[in-house]
Amino acid sequence: MDMPAAEARERRGRHSALKVLDCDVHPTVSGGMKSIYPYMSEAWARRFERKNASMASLALTTKYQHPNGSAIREDTRNEAGEVGGSDPRVVVSDHIEPHGIEGVLLNSLQASAFCCALASTHESVALASAFNDFFVDKWLSVDPRLHYAMAVPSLDPHAAAEEIRRVGSHRQIAAVSIAPINILLGNRYWWPLYEAAQELELPIVMHPSGADSIYQGTPIAAGGIPDSYIERYVTLCQVAESNVNSLIVNGVFEKFHKLKVLFAEFGFTWVLPLAWRMDRTWRQLRHETPWVKRSPIDYLHDHVRFTTQPLDEPQDPRDLDRLVELMGADLLCFSTDYPHWDNDMPEDSLRSLPDESRTRIFYDNARATLRWS
Amino acid sequence: MEKRRLAVGPLGDFPVGKFRIVSIDGVEIGIVRLAGGALHAVRNRCPHKGAPVCKGILGGTWPPSAVGELAFERDGEVLVCPWHGYEFDLNSGLELYQKRPTRLRKYDVGVEDGQVFVLI
Repeated sequence: MDMPAAEARERRGRHSALKVLDCDVHPTVSGGMKSIYPYMSEAWARRFERKNASMASLALTTKYQHPNGSAIREDTRNEAGEVGGSDPRVVVSDHIEPHGIEGVLLNSLQASAFCCALASTHESVALASAFNDFFVDKWLSVDPRLHYAMAVPSLDPHAAAEEIRRVGSHRQIAAVSIAPINILLGNRYWWPLYEAAQELELPIVMHPSGADSIYQGTPIAAGGIPDSYIERYVTLCQVAESNVNSLIVNGVFEKFHKLKVLFAEFGFTWVLPLAWRMDRTWRQLRHETPWVKRSPIDYLHDHVRFTTQPLDEPQDPRDLDRLVELMGADLLCFSTDYPHWDNDMPEDSLRSLPDESRTRIFYDNARATLRWS
Repeated sequence: MEKRRLAVGPLGDFPVGKFRIVSIDGVEIGIVRLAGGALHAVRNRCPHKGAPVCKGILGGTWPPSAVGELAFERDGEVLVCPWHGYEFDLNSGLELYQKRPTRLRKYDVGVEDGQVFVLI
């Protein structure tokens, strides 16, 4: 279980007035594959059953397995011993209530892994729909604070658009989650998906799927293959850096004026140097991509956001505050990553920032980015 | 201020290698008996980010070693936080292998007439 409710309240202390939205929480499908079979046709269910398909959300090779056995906190198991995030009622009682969180965005990594790498393209279309209907039925009905980033098949943008139009109007669906593949987000490939998302005023969320750097077709860390969990973890942000650059340089936000993209769990301490480099290079070579009509920094602030987790911890904590002020507090949306091992809780995050910046990061920016009910 | 001595249960209620958590005046304290018989009482709050540290792994660790080689030591005496993985030596309470280690809040603990007590 999370920290005791009384202790969490006490530690919120002077920040108890702070409103909090949490842009990254990970649910797990209780019971595994058989739980989503009712949400697909019998033919598909029989196929997955016959081939013994399983929900290996973090289907990691030995070298990338978490050094302490699991990326999911052991102390978040429910009374029945199920892994953390399996039970929406526990997410409410163990996480939302003690920390006074007004809304969370659920992002299923089990769905993501199927949608980008573990399932065939045809299978991923059926699975994305099944996951979406499962979470709408079994989770969103439990508490109005639960919101969901719907799954889409990354390998078929037309089917993804169809799925967005099928379920995207549910009031607790707050975003479309794209599991990263090795086609960058600025590519025209994604246009059908963006068109549907913009139509429904849903932002895009990109989050590592867990399959990254492991399976062919996923984004692979630059420079070579990492050799351990630590090495892979530290380089995961490279994927976001490439995708932010791609979105802006390829004119996605000129084509889709209302589109917003939230990069979740890539951290943010790398964003400022990227912004500077994009800006400088655009001034020098703008005519190569003349559809980029303003500084890339302007597109960044108008359309792109980053979740705060995992917060880096410089030796002088004020260095992080300085960086936030330099890059702009408008770019950040608070997230915990509950129930994962590296989660950041609101009471211990960015405590020394000015109140105005904290209000923006913990609430206002997320409110304006995701489609909360 | 003089410490209070609080009985927390018979020794048999404290299985070897598994924390039992008691709440005293709203403060959670984890008490554990190690294989050698030693008892330890620790505040159930990681000094890093406040996680319930006593719900983490109690095991050994792999100390700094030559490249590509592994050693294993302190089996059963290292507490690993279930959140961010900070490692603590249960005997000293100190975070392992850091220049500026954080430290677990420890309490004196003992046994008298088969009853475990904590001094707080």
